[in-house]
Amino acid sequence: MAAPTTERETPAFTAGQQRTVQLDGTPLVRVGARPGLFQYIAELWRFRHFIYYDSRSRSSSQNSMDSMGRLWMVLNPILQAAVYFTIFGYLLETHRGVVNFLGYLIIGVFTFRFIQGAVTSASNSIAGNQKVVQSFNFPRAALPISSAVRELLAAGPVFVVMAVLVYALGDYQIGDMVREPVSLSWHWLLFFPAIALALMVMTGLGMMLARAVNAYQDVKHLISVGTRIWFYGSAVIFSIERFATHEWMLWLMYHNPAYCVLDIIRHAWVYDGFADPYRWVVLGCWAVGSLVIGFLIFWHGEETYGREK
Amino acid sequence: MTTSTGRYVPRRVNWNSTSGSSPASQAQGVEEDAVAEQLLIGHPPNAQAPAVERIDSQDIAVAVDGVSMIYRVRSSSEYLRSKGVTARQVKKILGAGWAEIPALEEISFTVKQGESVGVIGTNGSGKSTLMKLLTGKIRPTTGEVYATSTPIMLGVNAALVKQISGRENIRLGCLAMGLSPAQVKEKFEMIVEISGLRNSLDMPLKSYSSGMQSRLQFAIATAVDPDILLIDEALNTGDAQFRARTKKRLDEVRAQAGCVFLVSHSLGTIKQMCDRVIWIEQGRLLADGEPEWVCEQYEEYTDHKSNDRKRSAQIVYDRTRLKLNPVTVSFDRGTRPKRAS
Repeated sequence: MAAPTTERETPAFTAGQQRTVQLDGTPLVRVGARPGLFQYIAELWRFRHFIYYDSRSRSSSQNSMDSMGRLWMVLNPILQAAVYFTIFGYLLETHRGVVNFLGYLIIGVFTFRFIQGAVTSASNSIAGNQKVVQSFNFPRAALPISSAVRELLAAGPVFVVMAVLVYALGDYQIGDMVREPVSLSWHWLLFFPAIALALMVMTGLGMMLARAVNAYQDVKHLISVGTRIWFYGSAVIFSIERFATHEWMLWLMYHNPAYCVLDIIRHAWVYDGFADPYRWVVLGCWAVGSLVIGFLIFWHGEETYGREK
Repeated sequence: MTTSTGRYVPRRVNWNSTSGSSPASQAQGVEEDAVAEQLLIGHPPNAQAPAVERIDSQDIAVAVDGVSMIYRVRSSSEYLRSKGVTARQVKKILGAGWAEIPALEEISFTVKQGESVGVIGTNGSGKSTLMKLLTGKIRPTTGEVYATSTPIMLGVNAALVKQISGRENIRLGCLAMGLSPAQVKEKFEMIVEISGLRNSLDMPLKSYSSGMQSRLQFAIATAVDPDILLIDEALNTGDAQFRARTKKRLDEVRAQAGCVFLVSHSLGTIKQMCDRVIWIEQGRLLADGEPEWVCEQYEEYTDHKSNDRKRSAQIVYDRTRLKLNPVTVSFDRGTRPKRAS
């Protein structure tokens, strides 16, 4: 903290002759001013290499403190899926009414982890990187974007493991679970556009939250509660038809972007077919809407990010 | 050290301050007081008509217009200052509150192209705050800073990422300053050369000593050639060997920069490199002029301060401030800049 506590012994006074400096301001710019929207986007494009390099170097060093290193990126979701499977699927029997419950659960847990990670790290990207923000002049939107991209890069190997697990174990039958064989087909490729759209949603939400967290750190606590609620509201570990007893609950679920992503991937991978086209519509609207609105909100607060707290 | 009684100037000069009531307004009735006060805003009654000077539009580099800074900082011990018993207890339990720290009072000056400006002041006087305001890292509480291009700070405060290697840090830092990958490749050798860390480039940064880190930071910072350059104490880091290496690069950067600010505690460096010195003390602009004269006053002031002669120090402070000609920046009609760089 650079702020000094100055002890001023005397009130301010001036005695020397006043001078007025007349000047033509046209060659000058206001230092630290927020650029216009299109100029800002152009600036951001100029810093694309920084965005990519920042996300790559940080994703590769994420687990460097653990002795098992990057293995944890994969082990973590596997363990998590195992816990949910035991507690919810096996003991509480949420698997009823779900075909290929194991594949259903693995896709849910792995994908939602990525979604949650991207939103959380993007929303902390400004408040948690004050040193970087204060040392360099780059468009600040680079930070939430690079955080989201970093999560995607880190999730790459996780998704490979997810695909292997779903293919090998997706239709594994335990007890009285319903089973349909899982087969590899071109439908599996639908995963990529779905994740791309999800990343857009996350980046947009992350930018909105990044501004909020920067203004009020308290929001951080709400985000962790919020993602928990979102987790249970996205049908990660159970099927919605079983628990959504009211019309409005179903409506809410169908308009939840995370549920749409999960549903699309599950249909493509486990059930070898297409999800309801309405999922694509909802997801597409969320992607464009949150990216545009999040970007505008973030850009509007551009001058507030370096402030000391 | 002499106390220079020969040049003594009375320090009680508050009689002509703007905040006090002027004799003119006391003589008239209450009714006219308000009107008179209105007329007096911005025109202290004692002052002569301000001398107007014009700066050519090609000459101007930086214009600081009435900038002041009050930090608002979150503080968990702020409850100690609350007066009410209840408020105090509530704040104590919550452990949250704001502390306001005035760092800079309103300050105005202009700098022309080609000028080298030294900035001096004791610790905590507001130098670093002024530098942060100049580079646009923080927004001033009042006033604005205008410049022909965004000033770049060259110092040892460039952020580095602890987990990744020195090599990656160099790339990352350069990209963050807006260099293209091709430019980074071009500058890479030079940065490694200046930092002198060729043997430990692939080690993670957390294995570096603090001296190595600041050397790397400084080396990365020198990769850009800014038009308006700010140097913050950079010359004092590192050992003699490192300083010799940096001096050459620093001279290069300085030579091509249009305008240089140098913040330093070394008066020798300031006198040698600058043709104008700004002295900031207790958050106020105290002097702005000839390096020789300002440094002399500063030396006298710090000498009194370090020997705990408060009154003598105060006399030097007031005496210096008396000589200051305060500047008002006035833009031609409609040319006050709004756009960003």
